[in-house]
Amino acid sequence: MHDIETISKKNEMIILLALILAASPIIITYLLLILSSFSEEMFTSLSLSSFRPTVVNWINVFKGKTAITGGITVNIWHYTLTTLLVALGITGLVVLISTMAGYALSRMRFRGRKKSMIFLLLLHSFPGVSLIVGVYFMYRLTLPANPLALRFYSFLYVILARGALEIPMSVWLMKGFFDSIPWEFEWSGIIDGASRIKVWKDIMVPLIKPGIMAIAIFAFLAGWGDLIYVRTFLIDPTLATYIESNLEVEFTHLPLIAAVGTFYLLPTIIFFILAHQLLLKTYVGGIKG
Amino acid sequence: MGRSKLFELFFFLSPMILIVVLFYLVPLIVSLYASFTPTMNWNLKYLHDFIGVYNYKRLIHMMRYDPSFKSILETTVVFVIITLIINIIGGLLLALGTFFIREDASTLIRVIWLLPRMTPVAVFGLLWYYFFHNSEIGTLNSILMKLGIIDSPVAWGQRIPWGAWGVIIFVNAIVGVSYGMLVFSSALSHIPRELVIAARVDGASNWEISRKILIPMIKWHIMYATIWQLMSLLLTYFHLYPLVAWGIVNNDYGSTLALYVYTTAFGRGRQEQGLAAAAATLLSILGVSLGFLILKVMKFEEMMREPRGDL
Repeated sequence: MHDIETISKKNEMIILLALILAASPIIITYLLLILSSFSEEMFTSLSLSSFRPTVVNWINVFKGKTAITGGITVNIWHYTLTTLLVALGITGLVVLISTMAGYALSRMRFRGRKKSMIFLLLLHSFPGVSLIVGVYFMYRLTLPANPLALRFYSFLYVILARGALEIPMSVWLMKGFFDSIPWEFEWSGIIDGASRIKVWKDIMVPLIKPGIMAIAIFAFLAGWGDLIYVRTFLIDPTLATYIESNLEVEFTHLPLIAAVGTFYLLPTIIFFILAHQLLLKTYVGGIKG
Repeated sequence: MGRSKLFELFFFLSPMILIVVLFYLVPLIVSLYASFTPTMNWNLKYLHDFIGVYNYKRLIHMMRYDPSFKSILETTVVFVIITLIINIIGGLLLALGTFFIREDASTLIRVIWLLPRMTPVAVFGLLWYYFFHNSEIGTLNSILMKLGIIDSPVAWGQRIPWGAWGVIIFVNAIVGVSYGMLVFSSALSHIPRELVIAARVDGASNWEISRKILIPMIKWHIMYATIWQLMSLLLTYFHLYPLVAWGIVNNDYGSTLALYVYTTAFGRGRQEQGLAAAAATLLSILGVSLGFLILKVMKFEEMMREPRGDL
């Protein structure tokens, strides 16, 4: 509920202004990044003389140039594709596993059900950094020798390893979504003699589509935005490693990096515009009471 | 339990169990084992060399004598405590603030604060790379120079300790505040509106309504979010990594223990996985203890009602 009926207009305006002021560092830094990508010089200095509009940064990005001078070119679409593959892989993995496990943990009675939920919560409290050391050991111990197989293996590994981090929370959220569906829907199927697998697939999954959608967006953005796991495991470069490896080199043209950064930010912005209600609601879905 | 039911249960749970075993339990054992070996530079031959608790002894020795490691521990404590306080109080203020304004405006504010959390880590690092840049293009330097506070650009993140601490705390608070905000907003939305309207009719101000009605009613949520954030801040290193790796902040006063583990295992130059694994073990013990604390606080029984219609 919101307290809009009784509060005075003036009072409300003061609060709103304070909130906007508090959010201004976020709004300003994002705007400066986007504006700088359309400028010949970085506009982050806030001096109007440094803002000279141009689209040359964007043209260079799509041509694959990493600097305005020099002949090094990269294929930005290849980088985008690798980033997308990692993100989609993680989305698929997380959605499938949490939809299956969340159903069983919400709807089926078995020994150790409560313990499993506690266990998942403890897994979530496990430092990601202890895991990544162990996971990398496993990776090194199982590397295939064939270079092509290795490239594929690194994809598979980064998806599984990064996806695994999202699993405990997603299963918790998914269990919550299943909890909110009335049993009557399920009984109708069970009484007809369908197996639980069929009931899950035909009745329950369509009913929690909004939940699946939310989990999918969170998983996608986590995979899309990852820097640590892709730089540690993945052989192919992504947009994140592009930014990292080009930021500190001598010939770097910073507005060009700003253009790559803005390009990389686009899916996040799009999801925010399309689905912010869903994202805001789901984020706390795991914790009720 | 019938045979078909057992099969169904196995069907639903086995993918999750497989991932948990392969990507949590096995790596954990491997990492624990590696902490008893002198493994360096990912040379797996060292794994055959068992050296007991030498790495743990080294950590204790470093705690006492290594200035770099001492400053990392100091940074961890300062970073976690101050960021925690900012995140909880900031989250509370944002939740209360958005509670008192129009629905559409409050959604917009909450979306803005959620954005940093969902932004690609590299882009988020890039924003603050520009903001705290040590030349005139740095937004902070530029503002301060225009105001006449400083004459020439300052490398804020390299000023130790408080410059570096200020930067990492600020950047992580921008990400972290949204968690408390969302938890508290959701809790506030469940408070019966009659209470607020009655207080308003009696002439109570926003501040009085917040202090006497709203905050006491979401006490449990505040406690819960505090412990959860404490755990996250102790274990987080994703958003710290670009700040340190891209030279925005000083290494010793910009790294926490979690980032130290990562850079010791994967950083530039000499990599010592044995030592990193030992530090990781200590961090895990801290993390799991906090996990147990969360369980104590959480209304777990309420969330785990028995499935009522499982035929």
